[in-house]
Amino acid sequence: MAEPKPFYLDEKLKEVAARGYLDYRSHELPTWCPGCGYFGMTQALIEVAHELGIPHHDMGIVSGIGCAGRAPIFYDAYGFHTIHGRALPVASGLKLGNRALSVFVITGDGDCLGIGGGHLAHVARKNVDITCFLYDNNIYGLTKGQSSPTTPLGQPTSSHPYGNPDAPLNPMALALTYGATFAARCFAGDVAHMKGVFKAAIEHKGFSFVHCLSPCVTFDKENITWKRMRGLLADPPPNHDTASLSEAMRLAQDPRYITGLFFQDKSRLDYQSYLDQALKDFKG
Amino acid sequence: MANVDIVIEICGMAGEGVISGGEILARCMSDQGFDIMSFDSYPAEIRGFGKCVAHTRIGSKPILSPGKYSDILISLNDKHAIEQLPALRETGVVIYDSMPRAYLEEDESIAGWIEPGMTSYGVPLLQLSHKAAGDARGRNMVALGALAALFHINPDAMTATLKKRYAKKNQIVIDNNVNSFLEGFNWTRENIVKTDRLSFGGVRAKAADKAIMSGNQAVVRAALDSNIHLYAGYPITPATSIMEYLARQLPLSGGVIVQTEDEISAIGHVIGAGFAGKRAMTATSGPGLCLMSEFINYAAMAECPAVIVNSQRGGPSTGLPTKTEQSDLNIALFGASGDSPRIVLAPRSVAECHSFTCMAFHLAEKYQTPVILLLDFFLSRSLKNIDHPKLPDKKWLASNLAPSAADLKDYKRYKITNSGVSPRALPGTPGGMHVATGLEHNEKGKPVYDARTHTAMTAKRYRKLDHAAREIPRPLWTGDKKDIAVGVLTWGSTAGAAMEAVDRARAAGVRAAAMSPACLAPLHTADIEAFTAACRSVLVPEGNFTGQFANLIDGAVTRQFHRLSEIPCAPIPAEDIFDKIMDIAKIAKGRKVKA
Repeated sequence: MAEPKPFYLDEKLKEVAARGYLDYRSHELPTWCPGCGYFGMTQALIEVAHELGIPHHDMGIVSGIGCAGRAPIFYDAYGFHTIHGRALPVASGLKLGNRALSVFVITGDGDCLGIGGGHLAHVARKNVDITCFLYDNNIYGLTKGQSSPTTPLGQPTSSHPYGNPDAPLNPMALALTYGATFAARCFAGDVAHMKGVFKAAIEHKGFSFVHCLSPCVTFDKENITWKRMRGLLADPPPNHDTASLSEAMRLAQDPRYITGLFFQDKSRLDYQSYLDQALKDFKG
Repeated sequence: MANVDIVIEICGMAGEGVISGGEILARCMSDQGFDIMSFDSYPAEIRGFGKCVAHTRIGSKPILSPGKYSDILISLNDKHAIEQLPALRETGVVIYDSMPRAYLEEDESIAGWIEPGMTSYGVPLLQLSHKAAGDARGRNMVALGALAALFHINPDAMTATLKKRYAKKNQIVIDNNVNSFLEGFNWTRENIVKTDRLSFGGVRAKAADKAIMSGNQAVVRAALDSNIHLYAGYPITPATSIMEYLARQLPLSGGVIVQTEDEISAIGHVIGAGFAGKRAMTATSGPGLCLMSEFINYAAMAECPAVIVNSQRGGPSTGLPTKTEQSDLNIALFGASGDSPRIVLAPRSVAECHSFTCMAFHLAEKYQTPVILLLDFFLSRSLKNIDHPKLPDKKWLASNLAPSAADLKDYKRYKITNSGVSPRALPGTPGGMHVATGLEHNEKGKPVYDARTHTAMTAKRYRKLDHAAREIPRPLWTGDKKDIAVGVLTWGSTAGAAMEAVDRARAAGVRAAAMSPACLAPLHTADIEAFTAACRSVLVPEGNFTGQFANLIDGAVTRQFHRLSEIPCAPIPAEDIFDKIMDIAKIAKGRKVKA
């Protein structure tokens, strides 16, 4: 048996640095639990940004509070760790303040659909040109396991030890109803697929909504687990028409975890472009 | 040269041209060199037959408050105008319609309510309006014609103002208005013998080119003058008109208006645009400010600029949406968790609504902190003629301290400095990447939770306010400078009434002075101490029940205060402050001195 090739840390680091991704990473180590899907989602966004050639100083990463809220701290970009539930309005203001920036929102199921539930509707229907990544782990993780707006009905949690009495929201159906012009879903366990979805979402001009599924490995060891999630994954039917809102809505009701592009409206102007156009029309 | 100081009220039903009549009068008198202040009241309901009062004070000296009593009451609707009679002086004049459409019972005509000492002139407003323009709509202009004839207002000046005001309307509208006015003027001159002594004649006022605007309009002008890029807001009385004016004008200069789903989103947009390095503002009233509290706190912690205009109305909760009050001082200063620095400016006049808004944009950007401007319903809505506002100093238009190349080598967003201000890199700047966070953080912006950092960072954030205080105008001190019997210490829109009351008290032989700070946070405590030290007694009038400002200075200055904390649903009248001064000075003629 041949001697294994010696492995030197500095050589490995050089190799990693040569890929160009490290520019996007801050020196802070992520504080998520081992096994959390958010590591993969962070990496996917880094790789996609690099591949799309977005300089890290032109990236605005806006978050709220919660496990997902910590994300901007681990990027070397312009990060905006705001208050609970309010990432979307701040991101909208940031983009309207400087349209040259690529603005990403990283929010969680409690942040986006619970405390900040009122904002998703309005930033979506305004079609502000930002990309919203909803990191959905079906639980309030940072406060240690209370029911979130996407926790399944009947699941015991620390706030509902006898079972969650509230029916979960359907994030994808909400985004479609609110008028998101791009809606897709991905799974934290498949980085390659996730990158494709992220890329399409970032390239979309208008409000893009990406529902990112990731099980909570700490506070749900029985119900929505990696294994169970993987088993329920499915692709959209091959003839799915992404321009059809009604087909997308039907897909959103599917009890399986369908991942991929649900809906895209390429014709509608984003908010800033609409304002520009309206002013041009007014001035004649 | 004689001085005049006359308050005119036009009273009628919604839709009778009361407010437009008042506006024409104010504009005309301003054009002729008089000082004017208008504060109209109308019903909260959009439709219906509610009472409208156009209240305008016109004088040859600077007008500081709207005046508690009227000298002349023009009735376009006797039912409503009779209710308005208690505000008319005992020697006042009433102009009424002597030939109304319907037959009025004796107690339904205002003519039956005129008291001895008052003068009344009946003018067939409706008849003359029909004669001049063919319908009843010109009654307000006929009344203005009568007013001009009776009190010696130059009719040419009035018609010139009318033509200017309606320049964009159809010619027939201009003609009808002008003809109605002239009909009223000529009829009155030929048919009425003047028996009262009020007159604008004999005052040598010089024609003046002044701007007439409300506090809200002044805020809008200032925002545009300060290169505002984004306005985000949610409709709320009395701040809504700021959004409406900006919605017309801001897009034309390339800016963005966002009508948001709530006030939380509005301030979120403002903070987001501020982070991008653009100037942004929102405007609201008490209930909205409550919703914004958490974000204002965040802006203080993450050191983001934000300009928040809060036009106060009666509270708490939904309160009295169309009544003025000064009761949001506490929430503006203290509506926060933790030790949360912010700058709170309180303009005292329409002119200061402009200059302070310009200053607010500068301070917010320079000190990277939220700035709250406290207006109130009265300041927001009252019209004042002012010198055309000046553009802000160029230094105020680029106030951000950008990092140097050396700073960017190892960039510390929250670097601890002597002034507390850290160089701020804007997104898009290579090398300036950082995370703005509401968590306590070290100089690099990394969340940390140790006592040493927390203390150093809190001190740094407050140090910025000490430095800001040096460039904010010191409190305004008018009247006597030493041996003051009664000093009046107040804030915001009550300052004008206080200064007027002090003038009158000094004319009555009382040594008196007034002081009002431009900013309530940071507070110029040393100046307030010097003022109170020079006063035997100190009176603090303000428009709230609990004496919020008095409580504030009570904590800053060791002193006993006489409080005049009132919520009359109207500005505190100069007359009331004057009475209180005289009470305190114990020389009020014929009045009992209160214990």
